[in-house]
Amino acid sequence: MSTPHVLLGLLASGTKHGYELKRAHDERLPQARPLAYGQVYATLGRLLRDGLVTPAGQERLAGPDRTAYALTEEGRTALDRWLGTVEPPMPHVNSTLFAKVVVALLAADVDRARAYLIAQRRAHTDRLRELTALKTAPSATIDDVVAADYAIAHLDADLRWLHTTLDRVADWHREVHP
Amino acid sequence: MTQLQARGLVKSYGPTPALRGVTLDVAEGEIVAVTGPSGCGKSTLLHCLAGILRPDAGEVSWHGHRIDTWSEAARSRLRRTEFGVLFQFGQLVAELTAAENVALPLLLAGTGRRAARTAALTWLDRFGVAQLADVRPGEMSGGQQQRCATARALVTEPRVLFADEPTGALDTLTGEQVLTQLVRLAREQRTTVVLITHEPRIAAYADREIVLRDGVIDHTGLGLDAAPLAGGPR
Amino acid sequence: MRPGTFIRLALVGNRTDAARLALTALSAALAALAVLAALSVLAIQTPPGDPGQHSEQYTNALLREPGLRGGTAFAILLLTIPVLALAGQCARLGAPARDRRLAAFRLAGATPGQVTRVAVLETGLASLLGTVAGLATYLVGRALVHRPDVNGQLALPTDVLPTVPELALVVLALPLVAAAVTALMLRRVTATPLGVVRRARRAGRPRPWPALLIALGVLGAALFEPIRQASGDGLEAWVFGSVFVGAFAAVLGVILGVGWLSHWTGRLLHRYAGSPARLLAARRLTEDPWAGSRTFAALLAALAIGAGAAAFRAGFELREQLEREQNRRAGYDDFSNGQNAFYLRTMDLVDLAVGVAVVIAVAGLLVMLIEGITARRRAYAALVAGGVPRATLGVSILWQVLAPVVPAVLLALGAGYTLGRMLNPDIVTGGDWEPVCRATAELCADPANRDSHIEMVLVDGVVHSPGVPLEQLALLGAGAVAATLLTAGLGVLFLRSSTAVEELRAT
Repeated sequence: MSTPHVLLGLLASGTKHGYELKRAHDERLPQARPLAYGQVYATLGRLLRDGLVTPAGQERLAGPDRTAYALTEEGRTALDRWLGTVEPPMPHVNSTLFAKVVVALLAADVDRARAYLIAQRRAHTDRLRELTALKTAPSATIDDVVAADYAIAHLDADLRWLHTTLDRVADWHREVHP
Repeated sequence: MTQLQARGLVKSYGPTPALRGVTLDVAEGEIVAVTGPSGCGKSTLLHCLAGILRPDAGEVSWHGHRIDTWSEAARSRLRRTEFGVLFQFGQLVAELTAAENVALPLLLAGTGRRAARTAALTWLDRFGVAQLADVRPGEMSGGQQQRCATARALVTEPRVLFADEPTGALDTLTGEQVLTQLVRLAREQRTTVVLITHEPRIAAYADREIVLRDGVIDHTGLGLDAAPLAGGPR
Repeated sequence: MRPGTFIRLALVGNRTDAARLALTALSAALAALAVLAALSVLAIQTPPGDPGQHSEQYTNALLREPGLRGGTAFAILLLTIPVLALAGQCARLGAPARDRRLAAFRLAGATPGQVTRVAVLETGLASLLGTVAGLATYLVGRALVHRPDVNGQLALPTDVLPTVPELALVVLALPLVAAAVTALMLRRVTATPLGVVRRARRAGRPRPWPALLIALGVLGAALFEPIRQASGDGLEAWVFGSVFVGAFAAVLGVILGVGWLSHWTGRLLHRYAGSPARLLAARRLTEDPWAGSRTFAALLAALAIGAGAAAFRAGFELREQLEREQNRRAGYDDFSNGQNAFYLRTMDLVDLAVGVAVVIAVAGLLVMLIEGITARRRAYAALVAGGVPRATLGVSILWQVLAPVVPAVLLALGAGYTLGRMLNPDIVTGGDWEPVCRATAELCADPANRDSHIEMVLVDGVVHSPGVPLEQLALLGAGAVAATLLTAGLGVLFLRSSTAVEELRAT
């Protein structure tokens, strides 16, 4: 994920200081990995260096300086360019899930691979149910629903693949060990 | 508390076995998904549980009373008063307006016309289609029809709702909206739901998932029927 | 496409298609037979000399007297009206399934023209088969019945044959008309390859305009008597022709009027619909009011003809009664008039034909009813699964059939009777000198003395109206309603298989 561009996007609605940026990030992208403070400040430093953001005043509130940042003209252009660029659709299949199944079939026996697939399917199903409950809760906001949808769609795809692979492995197993 | 119970259900269509000994307990207020590949006997199980079909062998009990031995008239009455049914498509009467379709089960129960219409309008409104009250099914989209059908299935405030691929003919978002509303209302009213689907993401709306394979419950593959109740009946 | 492909595509289809083709052929054969019979009557030559010269080779006065032959042919032609109505009804049989099949041809890449040609070929071939069969039946029957009795007289005009162009016209024109009607009805279907057309626009509410058609028919019949009196005995063919057209218009008006009646009874039923059964019936009536017109066409046509025949019978009976009275006054007590008795016998034949037409129409009705039930089997099955008793659905079907049929039957009987009554006007007796036998019955009965007792008396003019044959009309109406009820009952039996849970399978 492109953290610099996400920060630029969050600044587009107005100036924010580092702590506000972190909070906005975690709120807006609830299913993503939370940002560490260090990462926020490191990224802001790079954006400042490239002239994409500019300091917009300081406030001192019984503690360290808090610098607020604003988007520059270049920053806005960079954000627009990023938003306008199409992401390459799945350029590499590099999921650990996939790798593990392939390796299990290579290195271990079929029963092992099956046992793993069943366990994984169970875990996926549980997570799918959790996310569905989260999404359908009356208190769910649009951000929650959109984030849950994204995760659900991917889990759903994984699950379909798991179902199919399990059936394939069973068929293959029957062929090898009649 | 066990509300609906199946013991060793067997059902064949001619030489083709559909169910080969299914045993299942459904608790009051529970939402159970029945999944499995095409032709595994999902629909047949639902029809037996709902008392639409009689099993060739085995028992179906409702609050401890065997219903599979009842007459068609008695089972009809049970379905009319305690159960609601929802199918994939084509269940609305083409000549009746949406409100009349929804009011139909109430009229059968002897509710007056005005009261039935008021209730129908309330339920149409809950599914966001109150503006279609005087429109006929042929003039609605598939999603609107399915919302009306869901309203009709729930208008009698049944104890159990049997839904056979209720979102099968709808696009993802529409299906999800219908299902979300259905599940929310079922939980509010503590209505038990038996939901048939072949989609993992639809089954995820349930508290529990049962996998059927070749007419029997697949315990070995997933053991999901024993999975903990995430969310559980509230 | 090659002609072979066309014919193969025209003949694939399910059992309903086969039934439709068989019924189309049957009705075409019946219509051809009726027209051929009428043409045979018209083909009888009047012997040279007096234009009123009888053709003595026949036992039957209807064929012997040139003045009666026109009317006989006309009556036979009237019988083709229910047959044609049945043909129109058959064309709709299994139509949804056929429309879907044709739409599938379109999806497979057939042009609209090709699809229309397939359907037209289907109907045309079936009708042609029917008319050819009708012609064959006519020719064979003609040879079989050609048996002169001891006096060398014939019961039927089996010694004459319509001209070859006339025969060809009958055999070819009927299929052509049927094909043209099919092409006309398929305009909408062939336009879309997606077959299942979602009905976004409701069919317009029926208006009571068909009443005008009935009025037109009655008017034509009412003018018949004045024209006859004005022109004397020699009636032009066009007068009969226009009365036939008028009768046809009236029957058409009755059939189309059922649309309005259905809609109206549906609205009434809806207003007072307490039960779900009546609600379902009421909505089906208001939603598709023309279903009644399609379903009852042949039945109503037969009833209208039957009621007209009843009016004719009442007219003949009155005439017979008056003549008998007159004869009694004149002292001819034992004189029985063979003429009117003969007419009444003829009316028995017409009644028999009407009865046969009713039976055919009821068979068509049954098929249409079952068609309607199977077309809705999914919704019905869903209702039954939801706990709606099959009895409720059965009662709704009975309501839906009976609610419009009762007023429709009354309308058909009323229109048919009025038409027949117009053609059998009041009879005025007297206003003239009449012979009266002034003696005891014994003396009057003696032919030798009677003439001496005869006195000429001026009798006042008296207007005699034919009685309303209430009994016969009631019998027709009750019979039709009973037959409909029976048919609806039989149709309801089909509910069980149509509401089987198999109809609900998701995929």
